[in-house]
Amino acid sequence: MNRLKLNRREALVGIGAAALASRTGFAFAQAKVEPITIVINQSPWLASFQTTVELYEQETGNQVNLDVNPFDGSLQKQRNSVRAAQGDYDILIMNSGWFAEMYFGGFVTPITDIDPSFKLDPDIFTLGDTVYFDPDKKTMTPQGKLMSMPIQPLIPLLFYRGDLYKEKGLKVPETFEELFANAKALHNPPQMYGIMQRGARGPNTVSFDFYPYLFGMGGAVFKDQAAGDYSVVLNDDKGKEALDYYLNLAKEAGHPKTASIDQAEIIQGLTTGHAAHASIVVAAWSQMDDPDKSVVAGKIDYAPTPHLPGLQPGPALGHWLGGISHNVSDDRKRAAVEFLRWFQTKAAQIANAKAGGIPVSAAAYNDPMADDPKYRWMKPLAAALPHAINPYAFPEASEVISVLELGLNRAIAGEISSAVALNSMADEIYKVMDKYKYRTAALPALKA
Amino acid sequence: MSVTSASMTAEAPAGVRRPRDDDPVWRWVAFGPALLLMLAMGTLPLINLVFTSFHDVAWSGGTAQWTFRGLDHYGELSSDPLVSAGVVNTIVFALGAVVGQLVLGFVLALLVSRIDRGQVLFRAVFILPILIPGIVIGAIWKLMLNFDFGLINQAIGLLGIGPHDWLGDAGTALLSVIVVDIWHWTPFCFLLFLAGIESLPGDVFEASRIDGASPWQEFWLITVPLMIPTIAVTFAFRLVLAFKVFDEVYLLTGGGPGTATEVISFTLYQRFFTEDRVGYGAAISVAVIFFICLLLVAGLSMRRLGRAQ
Repeated sequence: MNRLKLNRREALVGIGAAALASRTGFAFAQAKVEPITIVINQSPWLASFQTTVELYEQETGNQVNLDVNPFDGSLQKQRNSVRAAQGDYDILIMNSGWFAEMYFGGFVTPITDIDPSFKLDPDIFTLGDTVYFDPDKKTMTPQGKLMSMPIQPLIPLLFYRGDLYKEKGLKVPETFEELFANAKALHNPPQMYGIMQRGARGPNTVSFDFYPYLFGMGGAVFKDQAAGDYSVVLNDDKGKEALDYYLNLAKEAGHPKTASIDQAEIIQGLTTGHAAHASIVVAAWSQMDDPDKSVVAGKIDYAPTPHLPGLQPGPALGHWLGGISHNVSDDRKRAAVEFLRWFQTKAAQIANAKAGGIPVSAAAYNDPMADDPKYRWMKPLAAALPHAINPYAFPEASEVISVLELGLNRAIAGEISSAVALNSMADEIYKVMDKYKYRTAALPALKA
Repeated sequence: MSVTSASMTAEAPAGVRRPRDDDPVWRWVAFGPALLLMLAMGTLPLINLVFTSFHDVAWSGGTAQWTFRGLDHYGELSSDPLVSAGVVNTIVFALGAVVGQLVLGFVLALLVSRIDRGQVLFRAVFILPILIPGIVIGAIWKLMLNFDFGLINQAIGLLGIGPHDWLGDAGTALLSVIVVDIWHWTPFCFLLFLAGIESLPGDVFEASRIDGASPWQEFWLITVPLMIPTIAVTFAFRLVLAFKVFDEVYLLTGGGPGTATEVISFTLYQRFFTEDRVGYGAAISVAVIFFICLLLVAGLSMRRLGRAQ
């Protein structure tokens, strides 16, 4: 048996090398942070987020686990985790429909409470200032604390068949009137539907589809959420005009079964070449140009959602925010901050876009990549984002969404008229807001 | 050779009374812990549910805030459009689906019981749907009933009939879900009925044939009456399960269009889980349990009445 024998010089060299190695190792360990777990939903942009996370792991050596769930499942898992003594998830990927519930419930730790030196990159979109929250005033303004980082700035864009527009010499629609005319011009069912609308009842389905019409016509659900005025104005003249237009568009140029159509059917309609227009979340762009999934690769173009002359587009925020759970260890909170710090860099945002995601930083939209025809959705999105509206700045949003989903779906299915739908929705929303002691009021009922 | 262990021969020490099986005190002492555990497991969740139904639960600062609401939530039930639609649709669904399953299951069981060869194959084929997970059934039927390219619409297209939106039309949505449930659960009835038919006494049938009974008389006057207990048990099992329907509605229609396929389990899911209204959701749960208890009492009363008559 050979035994390792060292002389004094060799021993000294060995000790020196070991000391150097241990110091280097120590320095590396300082840069590394605890593994974190992110709870996230299944979505068209999930693959891009996974790719971006893998890049973070490669660059930093830090470990990130993703817990992927359906939309509803993600919400339930987040609720269960944040209400427990010890949370399972470090970063909660929160939808526009429930982030307020997390803020108001005290389930998200402000990022700057974990790391006071953390600065939100000035290029990051604050998306209706929904990344901020003042727990005392219960408002979402930059005067509040930084609660979260935008993960996906999802708003709907108008997807349209650019090739058919060129063929027919149509102008890209800016107003609702132009959209109606163009949809009618291309409507040739069942080969081609002028437009496909998302009229099914779901967790945030038909209401999300209807908002750009409501907001683009100057309507709203509440009078002034930012000022705390939750008077219900859904059933005013603008609301009636918006719903009548939406129903008429479906009838004259839409799919005959709009009441049962969800996002998957719309994407399917576009990619199979059966839909000329659709107003859907921008995240679906990556499926349009994938030749394995789409027969219209390169033929879909994008524009901000239409509006009335003299008004601005009114896309509703259907965005996703990343917040740090209140009930995880300080080490894991710090690790989560490190991920968010990296995620807001221009390089990470460009990598995210190249992987099929939607950047949350203006830096990416100002990059030359935005001129690449492959990313032709970036400029319309950058134009529309400043006008995006956050429909839900209160924690009981899910109750209001439920009312809207049912009422709008019934109107689209032809069960009730637009006036009856708007009156009944307004009445129920008023009761919800009144029950929770918000400053609210109701308008006189519309005449049927 | 016999082996006797020390424990077998040990006498109880003097002054210590050996427990006897027929001693009521000992019986309660032995049975008590299990009984208490069962009562606790059965009643504590119910008590908790009832207690929660009198409250609103909100979250602030990471902790739950309970507010007493008395009977408010129960008062709200009658004016909740989803609850009323859910109750009506659940009853229609349960009766429609269960009757369909009983009839089809009985016919299939009769047919298979008369087959001499290949019975095993038929049994295996017929019970397949019951083995398929609900999520797969949702996917299968969502594709089958698709408006644009579903198999059903393609099939009726061959007959010159235009496509129909089976799940999106308020007139056919609930019926479509009922058909899916019949397809899913008929094998359950088939299995129970087949077991019942195969255990019927052969000599009764032999005697009837000797007496010149026709096949119809044999079926109607012998098979059906002898199968009544099996039919009743199968009906009860299926009715209870049908009242709990959720996955098919969730996967196929989401309760829509409008409230056409809203069932009470889905309403409960919406109110309790999606909207996070724990107190009101608990009130709906209590009402559902109460309703099922009423059904049970009504069923038992009818049975007693039938026996008395």
